[in-house]
Amino acid sequence: MSHVSDVNPLLDVRDLVVRHGTRTVVDHVSFDISPGETLGLIGPSGCGKSSTAMAVLQLRRPDSGEVWFDGQELTAMDERRLRPLRQTMQPVFQDPYGSLSPRHRIRDAIAEPLHVQGSWDRTTGPARVAELLERVGLDPTHGDRRPHELSGGQCQRAGIARALACEPKLLILDEPVSALDPSLRAGILNLLAELQERLGLGYLFICHDRALVRHFCDRVAEMRDGRLSSS
Amino acid sequence: MTLVARLLKAARTPGSRAGLTRLGCLAAVLATVGLLPWLSGRDPALTVLRARSAEQEATEEALDAIREDLGLGAGPLSLLGNWASGLLRGDFGTSWVSGTDVLPSVVAGLQVSLSLMGAALGVALLVACALVAPVLVRARGSAGSLAAMLVALPEFLLATLALLVGGVWLGWLPTSGWVGPQYMVLPALALGIPAGGLLGRLVADALPAVLEERWVELWRGAGVSQARISAAALRRVLPPLVPQFGMVAVGLTGGAVAVEVVFAVPGIGRTALGAAKSQDLPLLQGSVLALLTLGLVAGALAALVRRRLLGPALRDAGLTLPAARPVRAHPAVPVALGAVLLTCIGWGLLRDPYAVDTTARLQAPSWAYPLGTDGLGRDVLARLGHGAASTVGTAAAVCLVSLLLALALGFLPSVAAGSSDIANALPPVIVGILVAAAAGPGTGGAALAVALISWPPLAAHAAALVQEVRASTFLHAQRAIGATPFWILTRHVLPSVTAPVARHAILRLPGIALALASLGFLGLGAQPPAPEWGLLLDESRAYVERAPWAALAPAVALAVMAGLAVSLAAYAERDAGGAGGTARTGSASGRGRFAVAFASFRSPKESAQGSVKESLKEPVR
Repeated sequence: MSHVSDVNPLLDVRDLVVRHGTRTVVDHVSFDISPGETLGLIGPSGCGKSSTAMAVLQLRRPDSGEVWFDGQELTAMDERRLRPLRQTMQPVFQDPYGSLSPRHRIRDAIAEPLHVQGSWDRTTGPARVAELLERVGLDPTHGDRRPHELSGGQCQRAGIARALACEPKLLILDEPVSALDPSLRAGILNLLAELQERLGLGYLFICHDRALVRHFCDRVAEMRDGRLSSS
Repeated sequence: MTLVARLLKAARTPGSRAGLTRLGCLAAVLATVGLLPWLSGRDPALTVLRARSAEQEATEEALDAIREDLGLGAGPLSLLGNWASGLLRGDFGTSWVSGTDVLPSVVAGLQVSLSLMGAALGVALLVACALVAPVLVRARGSAGSLAAMLVALPEFLLATLALLVGGVWLGWLPTSGWVGPQYMVLPALALGIPAGGLLGRLVADALPAVLEERWVELWRGAGVSQARISAAALRRVLPPLVPQFGMVAVGLTGGAVAVEVVFAVPGIGRTALGAAKSQDLPLLQGSVLALLTLGLVAGALAALVRRRLLGPALRDAGLTLPAARPVRAHPAVPVALGAVLLTCIGWGLLRDPYAVDTTARLQAPSWAYPLGTDGLGRDVLARLGHGAASTVGTAAAVCLVSLLLALALGFLPSVAAGSSDIANALPPVIVGILVAAAAGPGTGGAALAVALISWPPLAAHAAALVQEVRASTFLHAQRAIGATPFWILTRHVLPSVTAPVARHAILRLPGIALALASLGFLGLGAQPPAPEWGLLLDESRAYVERAPWAALAPAVALAVMAGLAVSLAAYAERDAGGAGGTARTGSASGRGRFAVAFASFRSPKESAQGSVKESLKEPVR
């Protein structure tokens, strides 16, 4: 079932299993993603796509299986050892408002990964935030606003800027445009394509829109009832 | 063994963990009652000796003999064991003061109190009907805000006013004793009006939203009579409110203490208070136990009625009321009330509350004494101002302690839910009696008693908010950037919980001040000559015929405070609704959780057991 590809995949997931109680929601799923590659994960709602994403991110620990990322196995690591690695693999969630604290300004939300990392520098930090805002196509003045003062598309761009602040190698895009107005989707997708080209990011692109996935992804894996049916 | 196994199994679900906490809290309360003689720490032997045989010299041997007699020599565990096994055999112990059996006095008091409460319930139902009827007839609107404020008056204040107007000025009805049915009228009014007002307001606030539901339109279109629609709407409104009706009944037991004291009714509440003051602990244990049982039976009855009304719908937890729309007074009302109160306090603070002028006793209001003087010739205005400072200051301290406790315990939702149920079932007066019996009456004891029962609603609110924040996706995003749990707690969870809970605590301040005043009124709080509002009212009762203004001043001040408490509570509810609208936390069930905030914003006795419990369930995710 798993796709045999380049010698050194960025992400290599082997026999991933996630159970909720007695129900197996992710059933022996294997796939890999190379740098600069986009793997589309498609399937009906409730088939285990988002559970797969959470398990790959180690936000919900898988029940069995291995997740190799950049040459390291993540599932066996304890939280303390995992924490420094987390920033290299960033999620972008479906709800554009969901990934940002409603209480914080956009500027502070984008700077937060740098604070957490301990790499915040008072002299260069603000410039870095401004650069990130510009890179995702936001106006510098947007930095002073709070999430509910932005549109859904602007919020999603802010979420991407925050992810980029971590300098990731892989983005897990969990339906990044499904909650957005169709007119805004193209803008976000173009932004993602451009970022991938410039930074060589790997993408796991989760979606339920077949046409969109065909258009946007290098390879497509289809999920049904927790299993991958083709790749 | 099977029981233990079943309990252990049940403990795994969060709902029943709250149930276990509830059992634990109840056991703790019972143990506190049982351990009172040991907890009080002071040597009761001297009290007993004085009471039983005043002429006997207090020699060490005599005291030792009494200690032996009372069973105080043994440790706390055997004391508790003896008390519990005595209870099981129907032996409530022997009064320390009179040396007679406790049980007959408790039963006699209980009979009087039960008939008083029955009459009060009748009054309450009449008042409630009077409040609900106009809403049903007009099919919209709600009981006026004036009604809301009138019924917010605490029982001890209403009792004093009823005594003043009905008994003294008009002279229609007897004001003290318990000889014939006419003696029941004033106490039943004082006890029933606040309870009925509360019941009526709960129903009247919930009705308009129900009457706007689709089915009403449909029924009207089908030609169903107004009367049948009204009956169906009432039937729809009642079940979710029944637990709160149970709270009202619990409130009656607390209110009964004050009312019985004012009208010298020989009921169980007055027995308990008298026993607490004379350190007659066995009698106190018996009567507090009776009061607690009354409250618990009322709660159990309410649960039973709710089950009968709802049937299987209860299991599905599918039947919830649309959000109530409490009447909100014009913003000018709380502002004006606050301004009046602050002016009086400010003016009074500039004067001396302790200066005794025996030549100017019981003077009517004049320029020299704007609110007159009391029985010792002290300035009423000055005492009012200084009293506010101490009452509100203590209330603020209680608020702060409750807030800190609530924030700490908010992270344990099942503890918060269970303890808030028990705290709701304990009227502050009864807790005050227990604390006063253990630690002696005083400001500290009163503050402790009020603090003991004021933190759980705040903790339930905090727990709901913590769960809401924890369930939202932005916390996933925090973990994804490698933030430590400490970072997430201090930067995200605490800030989003602290602000709303702190606001809630501040809005409860007037209610807490009233509870403190009611303890002061009963002599369980601040001691003379301290100027405390409840105490002022109590002291002025003695010469109320000659100097009504001395009683009226603290009474009006307390009424204004009650009005402030009600009008602020309505604003708190709007606040909670507004927060739900703007804070996009991304949690699908966020709307439902704000309903908790809603429920816990109500005043302590209204706080809904059911709705808090329901919304504290695990998030659906």
